[in-house]
Amino acid sequence: MRWRNMAEDVVRLESVTRDFFDGKQMRTVLQETDLGIAPGELTVLAGPSGSGKTTLLTIMGLVLKATTGRVLISGEDVTDKSEDQRACIRLRTFGFVFQQAALVPALSITENLLVSKSIQGDRVTRELRQQAAGLLEELGLAGYGDSRPQQLSTGQQQRVGIARALVGDPRILLCDEPTSALDVESSRIVLDSLKTISGEGSRAVVLVSHDPRVFPYADRLIKIEDGRIMSDTRNPGQGAAYEEVS
Amino acid sequence: MRSITALRMLMHDRATTAGSVLGVVAIIFLVGQQLSILFGLLNYMSVLVDHMPADIWVCTASTENVNSGGTLPMRYVDRVRGIEEVEWAEPLIRTGGLYSLDDGRFTGLQVVGLSRPELLGGPWRFHEGGVNALLDFDAITVDRMDLDVLGYPEIGSVSEVNRQRVAVGAITQSIRGFEGTVVFTNIDKARQIGNIPADRCSNILIKLKAGVGRGEALRAVGDLLPNAAVFLSRQLSRSTRGYYLSNTGIGGSIGFSTIVGTLVGIVIITLTMYTTVLNRQKDFAVLRALGARRKDIAITILFQGLIIAAVGSVLGFFLLALFLYGTMDSSLPTYMPLWVPPVHAGFTVVLCLLASVLSMRRATSIEPATAFR
Repeated sequence: MRWRNMAEDVVRLESVTRDFFDGKQMRTVLQETDLGIAPGELTVLAGPSGSGKTTLLTIMGLVLKATTGRVLISGEDVTDKSEDQRACIRLRTFGFVFQQAALVPALSITENLLVSKSIQGDRVTRELRQQAAGLLEELGLAGYGDSRPQQLSTGQQQRVGIARALVGDPRILLCDEPTSALDVESSRIVLDSLKTISGEGSRAVVLVSHDPRVFPYADRLIKIEDGRIMSDTRNPGQGAAYEEVS
Repeated sequence: MRSITALRMLMHDRATTAGSVLGVVAIIFLVGQQLSILFGLLNYMSVLVDHMPADIWVCTASTENVNSGGTLPMRYVDRVRGIEEVEWAEPLIRTGGLYSLDDGRFTGLQVVGLSRPELLGGPWRFHEGGVNALLDFDAITVDRMDLDVLGYPEIGSVSEVNRQRVAVGAITQSIRGFEGTVVFTNIDKARQIGNIPADRCSNILIKLKAGVGRGEALRAVGDLLPNAAVFLSRQLSRSTRGYYLSNTGIGGSIGFSTIVGTLVGIVIITLTMYTTVLNRQKDFAVLRALGARRKDIAITILFQGLIIAAVGSVLGFFLLALFLYGTMDSSLPTYMPLWVPPVHAGFTVVLCLLASVLSMRRATSIEPATAFR
């Protein structure tokens, strides 16, 4: 593992745990975890279903609160922030890519991009519109701005999801199984896009997946099982295989 | 963007939006229609007081309702005329009568007798003929709305009221009292029909000189006629309406149907808006995850409520206008004062916002983490 200054971490989790009540008893789905995410890397959280990787991702993204431990964003402790403050930090700092794109079907593609930054009532600036148009063009979706999500293929929708996550230049991109519903070609396009985005220097990309096609793209591969980080490998390389992490 | 999101979601879920709009239309139309009938009936109740040019009405003691009461001595008219503030004072006769139909049957009507030759307080809308026709001793007016009830008399038609000869001198337009058909005649014919002595009258109408304080004049007339009831016109109008509303059950009946219409509308709006939110849970969760606060979601739902209220109100008022136009000059009493539509619309908007509270609570309770499931 290369030496790394923890102060560089855009997200840092310290002794974070998460319990859920499953209807009968409390269950710890995330054991005590320490993790730092550095900019300029594509980090893959890998593990079987129910291993706690999405829980870890959502705690990082301030969507879910940790039961214990601290969450720091760019060095600032945000553990005890109110729900509204967490929403504001999410809006400012994070871009989210969901499984199956999760676009709002009532909105056009451009509106889906803009809503991510203007849902708190901020005016949609010309710059934001230009950025949205530029992102669509970069991701090969020029000319689809006025279309509805249902008019696009699943792969195209997922690319719109990535474009939505990038509007407003967030420092951290959190992706939850973005290729799970995609064919090989669409997966490749989406992963190439995410790899390019992570290589832009100041941005961190964290990707949750159990899809082995994803692992070769990882700068850092974190294996999770039973709510615990089992391994944390940097530059796993082209040979990284599913067996190695599961 | 929150308003655009709200609008787009509504347009996307057309069926449920149509349901919500239908709820607003139901409130606007059903409640508006009930209110217009109520106001129409209120107008009928106090039609004479509201349209006659008097400032003050003198009635028999303890009168609450202009359509009831006994008779007053005619000498009161001369007394009142002696008051400096009074421009004119005229006696009025009101009496009931039975109009003889050609087939031998009778129909009841209310006879209003006006003092000749001025005929002050006479009919205010004519379909055919004019007020001067009542200068003839036998002349009466009939209303266009009552022509079918009276066997379609024409000007010049002769008949009987209470076995007294009458001739139709003019046809009025949409003048009807709460107790049915109103015919106007001169005071002498009215006395004959009602068998009222020459030294008695039903009311005294008083017109005050310009600039005179009504309160002071009312007190002056009251002091002069201690055994009579003296009202400003608007007081008598209000008192008459209050009397009928509290004694006939009209207020309760229309109030009940208004409440039912409102409740039906609220239930429709609430359920359809709630259904929309249930169908859109994933979208709201995604928006929350992206950074929407609870209040942003609440504002979005609020916008939806306002949009539904606005669209439903426009459609509802359009239907209501058609209804009012269709019933204009018909036997169905409908009237909508100008101040009612904005109040009704405001009330409906408040109801829509209340109806959206349930869906707002549901939408704001959606956890952003559910976007990842």
